[in-house]
Amino acid sequence: MCWLFCPDVVISRTIPPKIDLEYCKGCGICAEECPTKAITMVDEAGFSEEDKDKE
Amino acid sequence: MQAKTTILSLPTEEFVHPGTRACTGCGLAIAYRVGLKALGKDTILVVPPSCLTVLQGLFPIASTKLACLNVTFASTAAAASGILATLKVQGEDNIKVAAWAGDGGTSDIGLQALSGAAERGENFIYLCYDNEGYMNTGAQRSGTTPIGAVTANTPFKGKLQQKKDVPAIMAAHNLSYVAECSAAYPLDLFDKIRKCMDMPGTKYFHIHTPCPPGWGYDPRYGIKIGRLAVETGYYDLYEIVNGEFKLTAASEKLVEKRKLIPVREYFRSQSRFRILTDAQIAVIQNQIDAKWANYYKKDE
Amino acid sequence: MHIIENGNVAAALGVKLCHANVIAAYPITPQTPLTEKLSEYVEAGEMKAEYIPVESEHSALAVCIAASSAGARSFTATSANGLLYMHEQVHWAAGARLPIVMCVVNRAVGAPWNVWNDQQDSISQRDTGWIQMYCCDHQQIIDSVIKAYWLAEKVSIPIMVCYDGYILSHTYMPFDVPDQEKVDAFLPPFRPDYALNTEEPANLNTVTLPDVRMDIKGEIAHGYMEIRYLLHEEMRTALTVAAEAEKRFADIFGRGGDPYVEPYLCDDAEYVAVGLGSLTYQLRVAIDTLRKEGIRVGVMGVRFYRPFPDVAVANALKGKKGVIVYEKALSYGYEGALASDLKSALYEHLAGTGTLPFVQNFIAGIGGRDIRTDDLTQSLRAATKSRVSKEPVWIGLKL
Repeated sequence: MCWLFCPDVVISRTIPPKIDLEYCKGCGICAEECPTKAITMVDEAGFSEEDKDKE
Repeated sequence: MQAKTTILSLPTEEFVHPGTRACTGCGLAIAYRVGLKALGKDTILVVPPSCLTVLQGLFPIASTKLACLNVTFASTAAAASGILATLKVQGEDNIKVAAWAGDGGTSDIGLQALSGAAERGENFIYLCYDNEGYMNTGAQRSGTTPIGAVTANTPFKGKLQQKKDVPAIMAAHNLSYVAECSAAYPLDLFDKIRKCMDMPGTKYFHIHTPCPPGWGYDPRYGIKIGRLAVETGYYDLYEIVNGEFKLTAASEKLVEKRKLIPVREYFRSQSRFRILTDAQIAVIQNQIDAKWANYYKKDE
Repeated sequence: MHIIENGNVAAALGVKLCHANVIAAYPITPQTPLTEKLSEYVEAGEMKAEYIPVESEHSALAVCIAASSAGARSFTATSANGLLYMHEQVHWAAGARLPIVMCVVNRAVGAPWNVWNDQQDSISQRDTGWIQMYCCDHQQIIDSVIKAYWLAEKVSIPIMVCYDGYILSHTYMPFDVPDQEKVDAFLPPFRPDYALNTEEPANLNTVTLPDVRMDIKGEIAHGYMEIRYLLHEEMRTALTVAAEAEKRFADIFGRGGDPYVEPYLCDDAEYVAVGLGSLTYQLRVAIDTLRKEGIRVGVMGVRFYRPFPDVAVANALKGKKGVIVYEKALSYGYEGALASDLKSALYEHLAGTGTLPFVQNFIAGIGGRDIRTDDLTQSLRAATKSRVSKEPVWIGLKL
């Protein structure tokens, strides 16, 4: 579902999905549509530079 | 009967690069991405000024991988006709032409050229993504803005007029295919494009396209809101094949279910409808109920 | 092959000989018979072209723009309000550098409504970046269409071939229809540097920003200002290419002359009348009359209005006592556009040299008001005595 509905083509159609955070705009549609609630949106401000790459 | 496409059977090839200039959670980005999968790489696109123009990016970089001609606002369908003529004289039988225009560029300024092209039987697919306003320029009202919506130029009273029914106008041109779709139901959109591709003349698509900044909702609810529009019976997924009307996908299922979500839930989900009174909503609910009573009757 | 036909047919024959393969058509007086003729050629199989009867002139040029972008040799024709309706597209075609050829059958613009001839329609498109050629007779019409396709495709700039409505479009004259083989030798098939296709897709005419930007290869690409600068620069260079077109044409077809101006009895003239189109031929009658009175006067037609052949015009008028500009159009609030452009060219090249003539502007024939040769003769005679007025003088006005 997340792959299908991503407006920015940044999610892979794999399990688990890989998200390209460079181009993700943080709309949250993937999190909202996931039937198992597997994705959580976290505010970017809470991250340092290194943390972003770890996600 | 063609098998319905599923998430797993949808082609994985992408025709749009990530990093488009669309807004966060843009409904068009979803519809466009899946629509291009249906059209495939042997397609030349025609795009007037619209959100899509911006989505595609700024010269010299474009996010769309397909050939595309940007044209003036009123001329989309005429430009498509010009490309078709050239392909014909060049003997190119396998290249499709698809125009993507917004609701402003279709129901208002682009209607004349669209009507002309449809009347001439120009063999292309015209896809109108209806975010119900001139969203690219800051959410001004268009012919397809629904009644009661607050927009940048109907700021206090909301739009006073009904939404223009463009698919009905196009159906009056005796087209082989007219469809109403939604960005929230991309697989339905995919199947419909694939279904009509080889039909003669102009094929018209009207795609309900949720718009977070224009409609006033948190971007994450875009698909939910798109679904709500359909599940309240307010907006219907259908196709008209050679004049024969048929509900499809989720709308078709609603005829069996005989239960619609009250439309007030749809209105209360977006801040643009904040000035709609209960009385006005009741009127709209009645109109929806009457429409669906008709659908139920036809089904019997 | 010599035939006797009207100006619209001359134009249509030119388009047919050039193998235009996408034609957009919308009716408007007095152009309509031109595109009707083309529909006959297409339906009879004499032209292998797609003929699109569009629903408006704006769409007509939209079709040509799209077709040309995809590699077709496209054509449309219009007049007056039709041209004005497509004005947005006129700018677009030039900015997009598409070699479209369009015949403008000159007619007065509304309001109020008027179907007769003047040149306000094409003159008002002066600043759009289109090349403009003006024809004085049917031979020039058919020849100009052929030259226009060659020139347009060489410089990638669209061209308006203009001729007077009714006076040329509907009157009958003998003219030579060139042989197809000779036209084919003159004008090769259209081979653009890039035509929209799916093998090497490109996104054409996207949004540009005020400043330049880097492309995906890391190189700085031209910005809007550079693109527009090149249109102007290449329009100026087009003057040289136009001379090349004229010479090539003369070599193959055996007729031609000065590419920029068409003079009559100007060599020893002290005063020269100047105009665009068929009026300059009518002025020859006035010239002959005045010559018999011993007045040394000549007339010069300007063949390219844009790009403006300033050097050629200044050279031709250098040292003359006076230049009398007759126009069937004007820039409201000031004076005739040709008079202004002429003054600017003369000033630029001749100021301070002692060879600067005065410029007298006459406005005539607005809305098709009959231009009586007598009036031309009288006004010209008066102007050779002394400059009549620094303001444009309207001939034939009945206040």
